[in-house]
Amino acid sequence: MRVACLLVPDLPLAAALRAHPELAGRPLAITSGAGPRAQVVAVSAGAARCGVHAFAPLLHARALCPSLVARPSSPALERTAREALLDVARSLSPRVAPVAPASGAFVAEAAVHLDASGVSALFRSEAGFANALTTRTRALGLPAVVAVASSRGVSLLAARELARGEGGVPRTDLVRVLEPGSEAAWLAPLPIDLLDADDALAEGLGRFGIRRIGELAALSPRALATRLGPDVLRLLALARAESDALPLPPPTESCFEEAIDLEYAVDRLEALGFVLRGLLARLAERLALRGLACGDLDLVLGLAGGARDVRRVGVAAPTQDARALTGLLRLALETRPPTAPVEQISLATRGADARRDQLDFFQPAGPAPATLARLLAELEALCGTGRVGAPGLADDPRPDAFTISAFAPPHAPGAQKAAASPHASLETAPDVAILSLRALRPAVAASVRAVEGRPCWLHSPVAKGHVLEVAGPWRTTGRWWSRAERFAFDHFDVFTDDGTLSRLRLDRVRRRWEIDGIYD
Amino acid sequence: MASPLPSPSAPSALERALTDLGPQVRRGALPSLPVPRLASGVPALDALTGGGLPRGRVSEIAGPDSAGRTALGLALLAATTRSGALAAWIDPDDAFDPASAAAAGVELARVLWVRAPGLRAALRAAERVLEAQGFPLVLLDLPPRAGEACEPARARRGRALDGATWPRLARAAAAADAALVVLAPARHGGVWTELALELAPGAPRFTGTPALLEERALYAALARGRAGAVPGRSATLRLRAADAAA
Repeated sequence: MRVACLLVPDLPLAAALRAHPELAGRPLAITSGAGPRAQVVAVSAGAARCGVHAFAPLLHARALCPSLVARPSSPALERTAREALLDVARSLSPRVAPVAPASGAFVAEAAVHLDASGVSALFRSEAGFANALTTRTRALGLPAVVAVASSRGVSLLAARELARGEGGVPRTDLVRVLEPGSEAAWLAPLPIDLLDADDALAEGLGRFGIRRIGELAALSPRALATRLGPDVLRLLALARAESDALPLPPPTESCFEEAIDLEYAVDRLEALGFVLRGLLARLAERLALRGLACGDLDLVLGLAGGARDVRRVGVAAPTQDARALTGLLRLALETRPPTAPVEQISLATRGADARRDQLDFFQPAGPAPATLARLLAELEALCGTGRVGAPGLADDPRPDAFTISAFAPPHAPGAQKAAASPHASLETAPDVAILSLRALRPAVAASVRAVEGRPCWLHSPVAKGHVLEVAGPWRTTGRWWSRAERFAFDHFDVFTDDGTLSRLRLDRVRRRWEIDGIYD
Repeated sequence: MASPLPSPSAPSALERALTDLGPQVRRGALPSLPVPRLASGVPALDALTGGGLPRGRVSEIAGPDSAGRTALGLALLAATTRSGALAAWIDPDDAFDPASAAAAGVELARVLWVRAPGLRAALRAAERVLEAQGFPLVLLDLPPRAGEACEPARARRGRALDGATWPRLARAAAAADAALVVLAPARHGGVWTELALELAPGAPRFTGTPALLEERALYAALARGRAGAVPGRSATLRLRAADAAA
């Protein structure tokens, strides 16, 4: 089995630069804690050149580098950067596993193992596969190195060695491929601290004068275990490049999340829109890596005071268009603004398959599926959720009931086209169309004078005057068991002397006259 | 030094050359290609409009409430969707009635209903639908007082639909080869409209005991038209209640 290890050596820094690309090239320090106790946990190359190093107090770092930009470490950003790394791995290999967090000098690294067996057929060589991984990771704004070996442990050691560079100078090559059989020999001269032993074990190894991995590999397991305890056997197996046969897990359905901890609470929707745009752009990049589109969005806003605003924003059709998605979120926030300033934002979605259709050769061509999906998302952003789609008849006795569902036109013409169409019976009458109703939503109140229950005069904003002709009433009732929902209407078709032909109704529950449509 | 102007009475060199060459040279002109049309399925209406409403152009169906513009819009919608094509109904007034549309023979699954919140959103939506292409028919149902109610700032000056709206929509319709049909109480499009129908309602007919609404007459006049649609022509149509038609 061949295993690749995709490793980002300094995740807090990489995650911050991914969210704030404008900081690239500036001396940057990621800090932990607040006030005078703040401590540097990661530094950029520019800051390191000024003498700033990890674990230094922030005040000391500022003294060394006056132009230092300090950003607090963000667990949300780091979590989403780890997930982005997993997405890259999943985009090229079905079996992927995150590496457990390390300790000591490697605490800031994030790594992923992925199955690299048989990739040469697709990428010409394992180096080609590794290069594809680094290219995709860099496209997401994460600097990464890749090592390919025969076991998880060795690939991780090789990636660490690659990331460490020589004498503190970063390497220019980002990829290392260890051929099977050569791994133990390659590991032998490397320093023992690459193994990331815990403090007690590292001290014990140092006491015995073991400085290189090869020196450890040459010792007897029984003698080592007797003196340093059973934990050293794991390090020994690693030093000897023995295969750890743990299988990589099969693919699972994943949820895509992007989140950010804001430095200051944001209370204006416009500013929030800028942050959301960045989150959506990063989310869309990750989805595109997996060949997926964005479905319904789960937006969680962490509010000042500790409250959380959780909402689901529906997307009419899965899309990768970040602009349309931003519009949807903006509309959702404008409709119901957050009740307090926002301190944290999390945006999650389950990747959905982009819409694909096999178009019919003999039917009029509709819009391309991707275009249609983008159009629907844009229209929904423009008009609001639930206001764009295909109309339908509701299974509801209310006279004004209707449905509006996701627009997914069928391929073949409907079977009902000829049978149900009244036009079929009108073929002998070339000058006849079907009288249609123009709905008034909500119904317009009307003043009506009635004689023996039949309207003879009415006044309303849409029709007024003496009633010249009237037909009806037709009674519609329903939901009588619910006081809030029950209804009873007497409908009349009335023609008034202003030339309007309208549908008038007497609401028998609320005891008022209304016009709910005009025949047009 | 300025060149002397030719005398208006003297034949120009070009005219002399044309005379010398004789019938071998003629003035050129682009052939007038027939504009594809979208039939409504109502033969009398199609005859009036020269075969249907033109694709790639803006058409208007204007008339007061109850004049029948919704019925004609639905007839177009029915004919288009039954042919297997898609159509969009942009509805800023939220007046589309799915039951009436189904009764008129519209395949509802092929209709994209956009309930735009206001005129500005409706115009933007119409433009976006046209840009997406693949919708040969886009109906824009303007509210009764499009120039007054929907866009307060401009409407008060009578400029709800500003000067740039129609050329933009006309260009989008031409690019999409789609018929953009505007249903409105009054005409708005001016010179950007290829075909305009003006409707006037006739008297309804109630029959039977108890009385039932059976049909209503509709007078349609072609106020503007080109290429087969002769302005000034008119026709009388009948709008029949769906129950009576069945």
